[in-house]
Amino acid sequence: MAQSAGNLVDQIAQLNAARNLVLGDAAFYPQIVNGVLPIIGARSRVELRRWGAEFLTETFSSPALASAQKEQLAATALQTLRETLELPEKDTMTLRYIVEAAASLYPLVFRHIINHPEDSAAWENMTAIKDDILRRWDTSPFPVKLCCIKFVQRVVQVQTHGLTDPRRPEQNETSLAIVPKNHSLLSLPHLEAEASGLLDRLLSVFQEDASDPLLVNATLNSLAILIRTRQSIGNKIINAILSFVPARQARTPVTPAVRVGVKSMERTARALMINIMKRNPSHPLASKMQQHIERLMQSRLETVDDSSKKRGLPTEPTDGLDNTKRAKLDAESPPLIKIPPLPQGPISYAQLFTLTEDTGLSSFDVRQLPVDLLVKIVVPVLARVDQSAMQQSVDAVRMRYHTLQKQQAAQPRPPAAAEEEDDDYEPEYQPMDVAEPPTAQEDALSAGPADLQPDLVSLGPFVLPQPPPLTEGEATEIGRSAVGRVFDMLVSSGVAPNTGKGKSQQNLGFSRLAGSTFDRDAWVTLLTRLATRAPAGLEVDSKTDQDSSKRPPISDSIRETLYRYILEDFRGRVNVGIMWLNEEWYNDRVQMKFTASQRAAEDEESSVPLHYDQWSLRLLDGFLPYLDSRDTKIFIRFLSEIPEVTIPITKRVASLAKDPERVNLCVQSLLYLIMFRPPAREMCINAIEDVYQTYEESRPAASKVLARWRPQSAAIQPQPDQQTLVTRTVGSENSAPLANGA
Amino acid sequence: MAYDPRLASAGTATPDPPPPPPPPPESTMAAATETESTDGIAPTPSRDQQESDSPKLKFCTVCASNQNRSMEAHLRLATASSPFPVISFGTGSLVRLPGPSITQPNVYNFNTTSYSQMYEELLAKDERLYRNNGLLNMLERNRNLKWGPERFQDWVPGMPRVEHVSKGDKGALGTEGGVVDVIITCEERCWDAVVDDLMNKGSLLNRPVHVFNVDIKDNHEEALVGGKAILELANRLNDAATQELRANNAEGWENGTGEARRSFDEKVPEILAAWQEKWPNLPALWTLAWL
Repeated sequence: MAQSAGNLVDQIAQLNAARNLVLGDAAFYPQIVNGVLPIIGARSRVELRRWGAEFLTETFSSPALASAQKEQLAATALQTLRETLELPEKDTMTLRYIVEAAASLYPLVFRHIINHPEDSAAWENMTAIKDDILRRWDTSPFPVKLCCIKFVQRVVQVQTHGLTDPRRPEQNETSLAIVPKNHSLLSLPHLEAEASGLLDRLLSVFQEDASDPLLVNATLNSLAILIRTRQSIGNKIINAILSFVPARQARTPVTPAVRVGVKSMERTARALMINIMKRNPSHPLASKMQQHIERLMQSRLETVDDSSKKRGLPTEPTDGLDNTKRAKLDAESPPLIKIPPLPQGPISYAQLFTLTEDTGLSSFDVRQLPVDLLVKIVVPVLARVDQSAMQQSVDAVRMRYHTLQKQQAAQPRPPAAAEEEDDDYEPEYQPMDVAEPPTAQEDALSAGPADLQPDLVSLGPFVLPQPPPLTEGEATEIGRSAVGRVFDMLVSSGVAPNTGKGKSQQNLGFSRLAGSTFDRDAWVTLLTRLATRAPAGLEVDSKTDQDSSKRPPISDSIRETLYRYILEDFRGRVNVGIMWLNEEWYNDRVQMKFTASQRAAEDEESSVPLHYDQWSLRLLDGFLPYLDSRDTKIFIRFLSEIPEVTIPITKRVASLAKDPERVNLCVQSLLYLIMFRPPAREMCINAIEDVYQTYEESRPAASKVLARWRPQSAAIQPQPDQQTLVTRTVGSENSAPLANGA
Repeated sequence: MAYDPRLASAGTATPDPPPPPPPPPESTMAAATETESTDGIAPTPSRDQQESDSPKLKFCTVCASNQNRSMEAHLRLATASSPFPVISFGTGSLVRLPGPSITQPNVYNFNTTSYSQMYEELLAKDERLYRNNGLLNMLERNRNLKWGPERFQDWVPGMPRVEHVSKGDKGALGTEGGVVDVIITCEERCWDAVVDDLMNKGSLLNRPVHVFNVDIKDNHEEALVGGKAILELANRLNDAATQELRANNAEGWENGTGEARRSFDEKVPEILAAWQEKWPNLPALWTLAWL
C-alpha cells in the first residue's frame, strides 16, 4: 500500500508537470492529452481518474486552445469520459469534473457532427454521456447537480436556434441554426423538442416551493447568455424569473443561513434582470422587470432582512463642550407661551385679551391703582419687555380676534349699537404686554353689548311676507321671461357641451339622471319638461274654467319657442326635437291614465288635451321643405326615434316624393321604418305603394321595396283605409316612453 | 494511440524544461502548512497523500482599484500560516488614487501600470503628502505582492497565468490554470460588477464559482480589519472543502456505503451566516456564479 501510494505520488507529480507544460504552451495539448488518456482511464485509481477528469475539463474549456484542436481531441477524450462515467463506483469529484467537461465538449462535438455526419461513434458517445448526466441530475450530490444545471444550459443553448450570419459561416455560434435540414444524425425537431423539455426542467427550480438557494443562483447565473442569444426562449425564461419570489422560500425558522440564501437569490435575480436591461434597454419586458426588481427590494425589507447590517454611528467621546453648545442652542429658541383657548359662547373684550390662566390676576381691577403709580410700573415694564413673548401674545390675540370675526360674520349681524363699539376698536394699536388696564376698562364698556348678543342670536326663523298677488298677465309675462332666460342658457352653453357631451354620457351610462350635468342637454330636458309636464294639471283646470283661446297657456309658448329653436337648425337640433316629442308623447299617456283613474263613472265628458300628434306634424311640416337628399341619416334618425309614427306622418314623408331629387330620401326612410319598426310596417308599405302609384319617378326605387315586402301589390289596388286602423293602434305600443326619462 | 506509452513517458519526462519553479515551492509550502496548520486535521493514510489530496481553494479578491482593500486581502490570504492561491482585481474603469485635493486624483490605467511606477511617480510628486496619507506605504506593500493592478473585466478566466508564478507574484502558486473557486469583493458595487461581468463573459468554462461580498470601507484601517475577516472566511470555507474531500476519499477507499456528507457548496450559506454573526459590521452577500 505504501509503495503504491508512493508510486501514485510520483505519478501525480509527473502529471502535474505535464499540466504545467501545456499551461506554458498550449501547442503541447494534443501530445499531452493523448499521452495522459491511458493513465487516467476507467481502470486507473480514483486519484488518477479525478486528476484526469479535472485535466480534461481544463483542456476543453481552456481559452488558450483553439476550438478546432479541441474538436480533434474530443473524440478520444469522449470515450474515456464515458467509460469513467459509467463505472459503478462513483467519486463525486470525478463526476463533477466529467459533467463540467461534458458541458464544454457538447457544443464542440455537436459542431463536429454537423460537419462530419459520418462520425457516428463520437455522437453516440456524446449522447450516452448526455443521457447518463440527465439521469443523474436529480439524484446526484450537490456539486454534481450544480454542474448538471450548467450542462443542461449548454445543451439548451446548442439545441435552439441562434442568430446566424450567412456571410461568415465559420464564425457562427454553434446552434440548431447551422444544422442542415437533412442531417443524417441530427434530427432538428427531435433536438428542439428535447431542448424545450430540458428548459422546462431547468426553470422548474423557480416554481418549486423550497428550492435551494444554491441551485436557484446557479440557474439564474447561467441564464443570462440564453436570454441574450436565444430570442425564441428569452421571454419564457424572463417570465419564469418574474414569477419567482425568493422571500417565499424563507422557511419558518428564519435562521441566518436562510436569510443569506434569500438575500442572495434576490440579489442574483436582480443582477440578472439588470444585466438583460443594460444590454437591451428597450426590451419589451423591461418595465415588468423594473417593477419586479422594486418588488424584490420591498419584500426583502419587509420579511427577511429586517435588521440593517450597516454599522451605526460610531460612539464618539462626549465632552463638556457638547452640552454647552446644546444649552446655548436651547436659549436661542424662546419658550412658547401657552395660549388658553377661548371659552365657548359670547366673548368679552377682557376675555379676548386675557392670556393668563391665573384667576387672581385676571380678576384684578387695575383702576384701583392711582395713575401715576401705574405709569411708574408700566414704563419700565415696557422698556424691558421680551420681544418674542410680545410677538407671540400679539399673534395669539390677533388669531383669536380673526376667529371671532369669522364666527360673527356667519351669525346674524348684531344691532347697530354693538357695531359702533367694534368700529372704534383697533387691535394692532393696543400695548399687549400691559393688557390688564385697558382690558379692564373695555370689560366694563363692552359688558352691555356682550350681554345683548344671546337674545339676538336666539331670534326665530325669519319669514318673508307674502308678495302681493300677481295678475294673470303679469304671471304670464314673468313666466315668458323665465323661459326666455332658459333659452338664453341654451344658446350660451350651446358650444362647449358638444365636445364634452359624448364623454360625460359615456361616464354616466344608464345611471345618469336627466338634467344633472348642467350642459345644454340638461337645459333642453328641463325645457321640454317645463313645456309638457309642469303645467299639465293647471291647463286642464283653466280649460274647464275659462275659454282657452283667450290666452296662450305658458306651456304652449314654451312649445312655440322650442319649435322655433329646433327649426333654426334642425340638423343640429334634431335630437332636441326627438327628446321633446318623446316627452310630449309620454306626457299624453300619463295624462290619459291619470284622467282615466280620476274619472267618476258618470262624468263621460272628461278629456285630455293631446299634444303629440299636433306638434310632431307641425315640426315635420316645419323642416320638411328644407330637407335635401343628403339628409337621409338625420331624417331616418328622426323617424325612427320619435315615439310613434302615424298615418299623417307617413303621408308627409310620402309627399317628399313629389320632388324627384328627394325620391330616394323618401323611399329609404320608409324602407327603414318597414324594416326596423314593425308596428309601423303596414302603413309604411301602404305609403310606398301610394308613392309608387302617384309619382312616376319613384317607380324604380319603390318597386324594389314593394317587390320584397308586398310582392302581390304591383297589380292590386291598395286599400289604405282598412289598414290604417290596425296600424294606428299597434303603432302606439312601440318605442319606450321612458327613453329620456329620469 | 499506437505510440501512447512512449508519449506518456515523454510527458512524464518533460517537467524539466519550461517550468522548474512550480513544483518544489509547492511542496515546501505545503510542508510548512502541514506543520503549522491548526486545523486539527485527523490522521489520514499518509502525509504525502494528504498533501496531494487537499488542494486549497483558489481565491480572487476584488475591489474598485485593486490597490487597498483587495490587495490587503490578497496579502492576508497569500501570506497566511496556510497560504492560499490568490489573485486580485479591480472593477473600476481606471485606477484612482487620492491626489492633493478631491478633484485632482492620480489616475492610472489598469494592466499597464505597475505599482512600482506609481510609487516612483508619487514619490517624485510630493513625498510628504503621499507618505502621510499612506499611499506610498500601500504601494510599497502592493509592489511586493505583484506587478500591477489588473482589471476584472479584462480577465479571461481559464487563461493560464504561469508567468505570474515565474514572476514570483505572491499567492500565484495554484492559480496557474487561471481559475478560482471563490471570488471575494470588498464593496457591493464591485459584487454587482463582478456578477454582471461574469454573465457577460458567458461562463465559457462551465465552472462554478462562489462570489462573496464583504463590505469594507475604503480606508487603511478598515482594510486591515476587512483583510483579517476575509482570511477567516477563507479558512472556514477551505475547512469545509477539505472536509468534503476527505469524506469523499473515505468513501472511495474504505467506506463505500458511508453516508454521503453534505458538500462544501451546500454549506456555504451556513458558513457565511456563521461568519456574519462574528463580523456584523461587514455586511456580506453571496451568490453562485459561473466562470
